[in-house]
Amino acid sequence: MADESSDQVTPAVGTGPVTGPVPTGPAVAGRTAVRLDGISKRYGAVRACDQVDLELTCGRIHGVLGENGAGKSTLMKVMIGLVLPDKGSISINGERVRLLDPTDAARHGIGMVHQHFSLVEPLRVWENVALGDVGRLDPAATKERVREISDRYGLDVDPDAVVGELPVGMRQRVEIIKCLRRDPSILIFDEPTSVLTPAESELLFDTLRNVVVEEGRAVALVSHKLDEIMRATDEVTIMRQGAVVRHAQTADVNAAELAEAMVGRAVSLRSERVALGVVDADIDGTEVPDNHPELAPVVLEIEGLSVRTRDGRQLLDDLSLHVRQGEIVGVAGVEGNGQRTLADVLSSLVVVSSGEIRVDGVTVKTGSAGAMATAGAGVIPEDRHDSGVVLDMTVAENLALVDIADIATVGVINRRTMRETAERLITEFDISCSGPDAPLFSLSGGNQQRVVLARELSRQPKVLVAAQPTRGLDVGAIEYMTDRLRQAAEAGVGILLISSELEEILDLAHRIVVISDGRIIGQMDRSEADLGRLGLLMGGQVA
Amino acid sequence: MTAGFESADIDHGAASTPDVGEQPPRSGGAGRLGPTGLAGRLASGAEVVGLYALCVIGALGLSALIIVLTGGDAIAVFNALIDGSIRGPGRIGATLGVAAPLLLVALGAIISNRAGLVNIGQEGQLFIGAAFATYVGTKMGGPGPVVLFALLVASVVGGALWSGIAAALKYRRNVPEVLTTLLLVTVAAQLAGYGLKHEWLLLAPPEGRANRQQISKQLDPDTRIPRVEVFGNEFPISVFGAVAAALLVGFLLARTVWGFRLRALGHNERTAQRAGVAASRYGAGALLIGGGFAGLAGGIMLAGGDFGNYTLVPGFPAEIGWTGLLVALVGRQRISATIVVAFVFACLRTGSGFVAATGVERRIADVVQGLLVLALLIPPALLFLRQRRRAMAAQEGRT
Repeated sequence: MADESSDQVTPAVGTGPVTGPVPTGPAVAGRTAVRLDGISKRYGAVRACDQVDLELTCGRIHGVLGENGAGKSTLMKVMIGLVLPDKGSISINGERVRLLDPTDAARHGIGMVHQHFSLVEPLRVWENVALGDVGRLDPAATKERVREISDRYGLDVDPDAVVGELPVGMRQRVEIIKCLRRDPSILIFDEPTSVLTPAESELLFDTLRNVVVEEGRAVALVSHKLDEIMRATDEVTIMRQGAVVRHAQTADVNAAELAEAMVGRAVSLRSERVALGVVDADIDGTEVPDNHPELAPVVLEIEGLSVRTRDGRQLLDDLSLHVRQGEIVGVAGVEGNGQRTLADVLSSLVVVSSGEIRVDGVTVKTGSAGAMATAGAGVIPEDRHDSGVVLDMTVAENLALVDIADIATVGVINRRTMRETAERLITEFDISCSGPDAPLFSLSGGNQQRVVLARELSRQPKVLVAAQPTRGLDVGAIEYMTDRLRQAAEAGVGILLISSELEEILDLAHRIVVISDGRIIGQMDRSEADLGRLGLLMGGQVA
Repeated sequence: MTAGFESADIDHGAASTPDVGEQPPRSGGAGRLGPTGLAGRLASGAEVVGLYALCVIGALGLSALIIVLTGGDAIAVFNALIDGSIRGPGRIGATLGVAAPLLLVALGAIISNRAGLVNIGQEGQLFIGAAFATYVGTKMGGPGPVVLFALLVASVVGGALWSGIAAALKYRRNVPEVLTTLLLVTVAAQLAGYGLKHEWLLLAPPEGRANRQQISKQLDPDTRIPRVEVFGNEFPISVFGAVAAALLVGFLLARTVWGFRLRALGHNERTAQRAGVAASRYGAGALLIGGGFAGLAGGIMLAGGDFGNYTLVPGFPAEIGWTGLLVALVGRQRISATIVVAFVFACLRTGSGFVAATGVERRIADVVQGLLVLALLIPPALLFLRQRRRAMAAQEGRT
């Protein structure tokens, strides 16, 4: 396919000379492992990839950096055979190949560790590892192999552990073992650190280094975090709007340059820099937000909150916290430690096993439809499609969702009021849509998020719960969201910011609490925040 | 960089989820991703009409083929269908009499469906409704109109009670309503059969049985739904009631807080719960109302006179429950379309009575109906699939 584009090789790419025919091992370091030439893929009018060249070299970690929507994922999908490119060619070890599906790619030695794990939780580690196999199952050999890989890379995974009982960081290691077991010469990691504590990320990068240096494998590290790219990679390719905008040796560039290339303009705003990770949790350099509302009245009080599932799993364990008027409290923690449940409880979605929640001094009945919203607790949920919006209803309907009864006369909706309110909010929150009657699914993710924000803030809540409010948004949208949250706090709304991005919390919060295993295991004022201690706490150690 | 991509990036740059591959497909969506502007809309409108026409012609052609293959005369059969439903003298009246309960059943199905529930037990709810109506109508006594009113109310209660079992099981024990409503159809038939064996329940006294083992007493003439005659077509006034009910339901669903919340619940239960719509209340309510409409269909069938002789017998629902469900399905939840479809399906039913005269098995009308249902369901399914493919492609491009 696409012979015409095979001659277009960007001079910037193509570093290593071919050294020898040995597939892996330190001897091959420097040899080109895989080469993508002029890859183009379009979906309708959207060019996901436009003449992209990428070259992975044995013995090196190649960062692929870009915002959401820059085309990184599509490119990686092309490399593992999930997406057939419209144009362009792929060669592995100098040989032209056509990858039709991931099995094909695996045969050619390409393996990928996905952002979202594909593990069967009730099964043991070795069972998960053996899942893709055909023929007779050999438990002893599989376990031995898991142990061997685990030892070699210092992954420390017990083959007999049940995956469902492992922490997220461990699960990722299981994924890595699944991948390494096939002895791939090319490894792709897609946003691997989003589920890890800082310490776990360090360990992961050590493992990667090992894989690369000792064994001469080629690694692609896909990320939107600058600090990660700076820390872990040898060279970097930056994508924007489907095209490669820059390729460089990591040692030759600094974070600010990368940020500019990634966003396409100078990055000056502080929250942008934080969002991008230019300011890498730079505690001392960040001004501490003032107007510390120590004596303001408490607007949200959670006391001894416990939530157990029917099968007895403890999701929240005696969790207590409070938020004062005008205060932003950041809930830091590695994903999967109860944050989702906490947000669900505050969204009236979960009945608690014990404990009490008071909004503005009034006890709220948990799990009763709309109770939290009525009491004055707004929520920007982690997954807006899950509990934030109704995709198949219009923008106006979504904006009126919670207070629909207030704009009705004897049960009949006053459509003009609904429309006028919507028009006002669309202007006020700068929601880009074709009008109040546009179906919500026709809006981009960032604008859907604005609809949620507009609805929740326009209800003048006492407290606003923002769960991962900037996830999946591009830089401009992140900026907007954080500004709005700050403004709301200044206007006296108590804000509970639940985020797994430490930078975001350090940037916004007045006070930080750390959640681990469903309980708050430590708290500190922003001014006293100590990255070391935060990291330890996030890892579940009481420091 | 092309302009096309840039605009796409501004509009959709922030992919809604990090991994779009995991995004659930959603209904109705992304139609707007297709051709836009007036010309585009006209073109796609013509396309839709063409697709429907093609499918209906295909279904009729296939039906004709089957008729010919089974040794019949296709033209004669189609003529019989039309004679029996609208062309023959007074046949429109008969058809309207069938269309009314079909419409009521469909309305109930639409309401349940708005709340995201799949109630497919209308046949049973209708039977129980009719049984309740029979009991009240034959046992109560008193002034005719009062008894008529009471028996119609009883039919609603009976139907709602029957779907209420499914609602209770769903919201207390989390048993899927698809299963319970369906399985309760069989139970309903057994229960009505039991009632028809006992005089203290539904069975007529010996002198009123006319040699039948299981039959209820006939409703007294003054407890029947009055019939009117329009241009030689005679039908019960419940036809007007059914149309009025359809318009009312249309209004309630589109304009009221109740309809709004039902829709929110049907599309996204968790968002609805957060916004104050309790699934147990609105969902159970929708199921009860759905059952109530099916029950009422049974009531007007009994007291309307187009089904049996104002008596309840085994097999009384005569598949009106199932067909009504199809009406809702083909009407695609739109009230105006549903009214039309109810009439068309009633035509097939009344027309099939005349098919036997052509020497062809009268069940051939069921085949025609089945093929027509398919023909009417294929275009929306095709359009939906195409839209989704486009939407997915566009989404995919944004990662």
